[in-house]
Amino acid sequence: MLRLPQDVLGWKTDGPDKVVTRQTIFDYMDGGGEIYLAYDFQRLLAREYARPGAPRIVAEVYQMASSGDAYGIFTHDTDGQPVSVGQMALYSAGLLRFWKNRFFVRLQAEDETPEVKTALMALGKQVASGIPQEGKKPSLLMGLPPQDLIESSIHYFHTLVSLNIHYFLADSNLLNLNSSTEAILARYQQDRDRPRLLIVRYTGPSDAKAAFEQFSKVYLRESPTGNAVFGKLEKEQFAGGRREERALLLVFEAGSRESAEKLVDLAASRMKGVAP
Amino acid sequence: MSRPEEFNIVTRRDFLRGAAYGTLGLAMGVEGVARAGQGSAFAAEEPLSQVVLVRHEAAVDAGHQVNSVVVAEMLDTAMKAFTREGDIANAWQRYFGPQDVVGIKYTRCSWHRIHVNQAVLDAITDRLITSGVAKSRVTANDFGLPVKDCTALINVPSVKVHALTGIAVSIKNYINFTGNRTSYHFNGSSKLGETWLLPEVKGKTRLIVVDMLRPYFGPGPQINPLHQWDYKGILVGTDPVAIDTVCLSICQKKRNLFKGEEWLISPPPRSLATADTVYHLGTSDPTKIKLTRLGWDKEQLI
Repeated sequence: MLRLPQDVLGWKTDGPDKVVTRQTIFDYMDGGGEIYLAYDFQRLLAREYARPGAPRIVAEVYQMASSGDAYGIFTHDTDGQPVSVGQMALYSAGLLRFWKNRFFVRLQAEDETPEVKTALMALGKQVASGIPQEGKKPSLLMGLPPQDLIESSIHYFHTLVSLNIHYFLADSNLLNLNSSTEAILARYQQDRDRPRLLIVRYTGPSDAKAAFEQFSKVYLRESPTGNAVFGKLEKEQFAGGRREERALLLVFEAGSRESAEKLVDLAASRMKGVAP
Repeated sequence: MSRPEEFNIVTRRDFLRGAAYGTLGLAMGVEGVARAGQGSAFAAEEPLSQVVLVRHEAAVDAGHQVNSVVVAEMLDTAMKAFTREGDIANAWQRYFGPQDVVGIKYTRCSWHRIHVNQAVLDAITDRLITSGVAKSRVTANDFGLPVKDCTALINVPSVKVHALTGIAVSIKNYINFTGNRTSYHFNGSSKLGETWLLPEVKGKTRLIVVDMLRPYFGPGPQINPLHQWDYKGILVGTDPVAIDTVCLSICQKKRNLFKGEEWLISPPPRSLATADTVYHLGTSDPTKIKLTRLGWDKEQLI
């Protein structure tokens, strides 16, 4: 169910629609399709709008497999001004992005003018209203301790290709991420330090254990003490983490071992209340 | 400190220490990687490679429109500086003659919109023709360039930070020649250098002209206008690795400025390191590159 209006504020549909599937995504955006497939992309409807003497507008409605994945692809690029469209939206110089339910929507103009901005917002609200229900955010978000959290730094994803864009950890799949894993990366502002918290949830404890051992050995070059491991790394920074059942709670770039452990403790405490 | 041999994995820690991916960390200005005693970055006294950067404040206006007259002047300035020829026709004749069939391979990514500007292509074509290459022997294209029939290539890329490759400039510009582009995006795009060694391509690239008028520094995959800026630059050289390294350094500095802290290009462009160390297409070591900077110097970033 992909819908777009025929016209908005004088901009009218111009040219045939494009419907893109998982099989044709690379024809539509070679070198970019991998990012959408990493969020279980299903289908895309793209339509162009034109108005004489005004910049063209390209509207894209991406249907993902779940609302969590629509939220996830929305968090891929978090630079922009928050605006009120759909469940969350960002506007930046002629580009409006939002997500609602299983849909991620991009509305992009060739250039920004005041009229274009008005049209993008109107088009966005029209598209959003055509999506009948809101969707749930990933439950894993509840694992993030709220204190000192930089909201705009949150990225939700599944696989290595996404992790490596947001935080290059290794050129191999050190954490054994795959389409069944869920991960959240976020930053915290703690005085002068800005540590990163990475929560990964696996399908079972054995997967989490294997990833934790590999991370400890290869990245930290430390042996875990029980289910926890921390180490002092380059630039006087600390990293480490803990395995909790089927989840890994990892901290990077902490200013001290104590602050790293504290952030992991807080996350572990919150993870107890996270729905499976 | 080198990384343990038993781990055939490059980690962030290896990269930040300069123990992996050659000198990319140095080019990206990673704190702690820059080493004293090896000369200054991009100011080699006995360079392996030379690159010329020309910028002009009027190349792009406030509405992001490109001024074709200014761009042509910038290209002339760059070619004269690179060849040290006073006459522009002589400069081009260093690389191309009337017997050549010249293919201009430019970047036109329809969905991403970080294209080579027409003004750059027009200036190149015009200078080729006025230097003695017949118009009928010059072809410019992204897809479908008859590379087999070309005796000489000019590599004309745009500049964009790339979600899978790290950065896409001249080395990645030949990916269309492979007929299997997607396969080159895996494994950090480390095989991209191979495209320069395809039988139809190898040895034909005489010149590289980079359109750095409006480069892109964001995570992609699609354009966020906040991540494109009017750098207003043109680069000329013959070493694709050196040219891409210069662009990498500029984009990394722009990212840092944008976020107000180090925002590493991620993943690090492994393809650039392998283009140097595996495919031997040129040097990625900033201390072996001499960059000549001409023109507008505001926020030069290198």
